[in-house]
Amino acid sequence: MTPPVPPSSSSPPPPPASPAADAEKRASFEREALIHLDSLYRVALRLTANPAEADDLVQETMLKAYRAWHQFERGTNAKGWLLTILRHAFINEYRRRTRHPETVDIDAIEPFSVFEEVQDEDPQGTFFDRIVDDEVLRAIDTLPEQFRETVVLSDVEGMSYEEIARVLEVPVGTVKSRLFRARRLLQKKLYEYAVGMGYIKGNAT
Amino acid sequence: MNCRECKDHLYEYLDRELTPAVAEEIRQHIAECPPCGESFDFEKVFLTFVRARCRAHGASPELRRRILDELLDE
Repeated sequence: MTPPVPPSSSSPPPPPASPAADAEKRASFEREALIHLDSLYRVALRLTANPAEADDLVQETMLKAYRAWHQFERGTNAKGWLLTILRHAFINEYRRRTRHPETVDIDAIEPFSVFEEVQDEDPQGTFFDRIVDDEVLRAIDTLPEQFRETVVLSDVEGMSYEEIARVLEVPVGTVKSRLFRARRLLQKKLYEYAVGMGYIKGNAT
Repeated sequence: MNCRECKDHLYEYLDRELTPAVAEEIRQHIAECPPCGESFDFEKVFLTFVRARCRAHGASPELRRRILDELLDE
């Protein structure tokens, strides 16, 4: 399978326009691309951590995608193609303004096992039920960026390792190891929150 | 398959990313090994919980309208 091709300046020019071709382009774009609007917004919101910037990022992504629509290979994964465009736009424009790329060495973050901490007190993890949506989203937003984007594509968007690898432009093995560390780190943050709130006693270490 | 190998494949198993043969080996191991079974159940609860908490937000009707208007101008 070929990777999605984000629009570039060296790409072929769009075919000459006619009113009928414009209408057809718009209809196919609405049918195949706009249906992924909610997904793009959720990913954009987690990347920017700001609703207004997420709106702008999604709008810009859709405009870029529409202008490059003739390059999209019909029948392939439009969601992956759109997310690649969104991620490039974020890296090139938004990240510079909103957040600085992490300087943490994510590979040095040791996976922490919450299960080992709670296996005597709450092995079924019922304390998770008491943690509300906003708290989970806040915890995701504090993950290092490479972890955050991997968790969002997997657990929020339900994409396969292969699809995530294509959007992030990394090997599948990297997706696997990031996902493992990212989920364990997220779990640790939520566990510490639950201990702080008194939802669970936890191991006083 | 031993406990260590089993745990290395934990999320791949829960994400259904393994070949049927490897997934079957894991299924057998966790059925026979209560500590591994409990830890797999715990991680499954965690993933279900995270997914359930993150689905709510989508694009606003205003954003949808803004994009549709913009496409008309193209």
